[in-house]
Amino acid sequence: MRLLLIAAISLSLSSCLIKKPVPQTPYYNNIKVWGNKPIYDATIDAKRIAYIDSAFPVMIPGNIYAKDNFIYQLEIGKGIHVIDNSVPSQAHRIGFITVNGSSQISIKSNYLYTDSYDDLVVIDISNINNVHEVKRIGGALPEGRYNYYYNQPIESGYYECPRYDSVVIGWTKDSVWSSCYKN
Amino acid sequence: MKSTFNKIISAALISLLFFSCSKDNAGNAASANSTGKGGSLSRFTIAGNFLYAVDNHFLYTYDISDAANPVNTNTSEVNFDIETIYPYNNRLFIGTRTGLYIYSLDAPSTPVKIGEAQHARSCDPVVANDSIAFVTLKGSSNCGPAESGLYVHDIKNLLHPTLIKKLLLSSPEGLGLQGSTLYICCNNDGLKVFDVSDPANPTETRTLTGAYFKDVIPYGNTLICYVSNGIMLYDISNPANPVQLTLIAN
Repeated sequence: MRLLLIAAISLSLSSCLIKKPVPQTPYYNNIKVWGNKPIYDATIDAKRIAYIDSAFPVMIPGNIYAKDNFIYQLEIGKGIHVIDNSVPSQAHRIGFITVNGSSQISIKSNYLYTDSYDDLVVIDISNINNVHEVKRIGGALPEGRYNYYYNQPIESGYYECPRYDSVVIGWTKDSVWSSCYKN
Repeated sequence: MKSTFNKIISAALISLLFFSCSKDNAGNAASANSTGKGGSLSRFTIAGNFLYAVDNHFLYTYDISDAANPVNTNTSEVNFDIETIYPYNNRLFIGTRTGLYIYSLDAPSTPVKIGEAQHARSCDPVVANDSIAFVTLKGSSNCGPAESGLYVHDIKNLLHPTLIKKLLLSSPEGLGLQGSTLYICCNNDGLKVFDVSDPANPTETRTLTGAYFKDVIPYGNTLICYVSNGIMLYDISNPANPVQLTLIAN
């Protein structure tokens, strides 16, 4: 009886010491594989709006939007390219509004509406040299908390399921628990 | 359980970001203090003093009379697989993978569903005017089995949209309407220009090639095309005959 108790205690202790991630699903083996691992950023940092006064590389282009002499194009998950279209034959990118977790755009007068993860964000664009956030409604678009571009790696295969206490801003190859799989 | 959830979310994400088809927003070339004009993958749109946003399931309405301070006035469940939203004349057209939903904006703070046109599963961008809705369906492994093409619906009776023409096209995506000229992005097949003065008989007048066309915005005298290698601009002083101005390369 006593032996059994000791065995039970040591077993429970060892299970405390060896912290194994709980398998996310019975379908996948809880083994380490070479796959994609999330690169996190603190949510508060990722949600900071900034304006870059020069052309920004186009990686994953998205929606386009025209207003007055400007064209805007989403850089999915990263922000918004600003294009000067005052002379259409010479239109060119002049800047970039950093809005991590973004995928949409609409504009009324001097205010640009976009999403940043699950937030609805209002950005004052009246002065291109002073683009700034004027309002953020947290949780306005609840699906955005889980459903944003960088929440999943681009390539298929095993990856480490991301946490939701911070946000994913990219992926790197590493030895990961095979907790999630992308077809 | 959690991973099943993850898979569903992942699937939704993939479909949203990679295969989401497109829709052109309404509106004319804007004046300085009004709204602009959106392109295809739009899930945000502004009509009057309201911002309408959709995610995969819900339509969110925000009062933006005070533009810097949006106030939520309504949230309504629409369907699974919402793709795009397009406003025209006191109406919202919501494209989903299984059909086109028409909402009335008579009370703009609380949109009410008044009509729908069901179709086979596919991606379905839409543009509309008073009496006609032009829909491109893109059938594919990701979008569903519908036959790809241009579908023209008579919407004089909003409660019962009627299909009046089906024109098969390969990989149609975003589309834009300028008067009686309809532009349809057909990926590698080019940008097709249609005369739709008789909407029941769209006539192809030109095809512009040389890029992978995804989406288009007719904006005043400029046609703004989202192509895979950048943004292509055309002069459309004569809407039927776009003349290339420049490519803003990626």
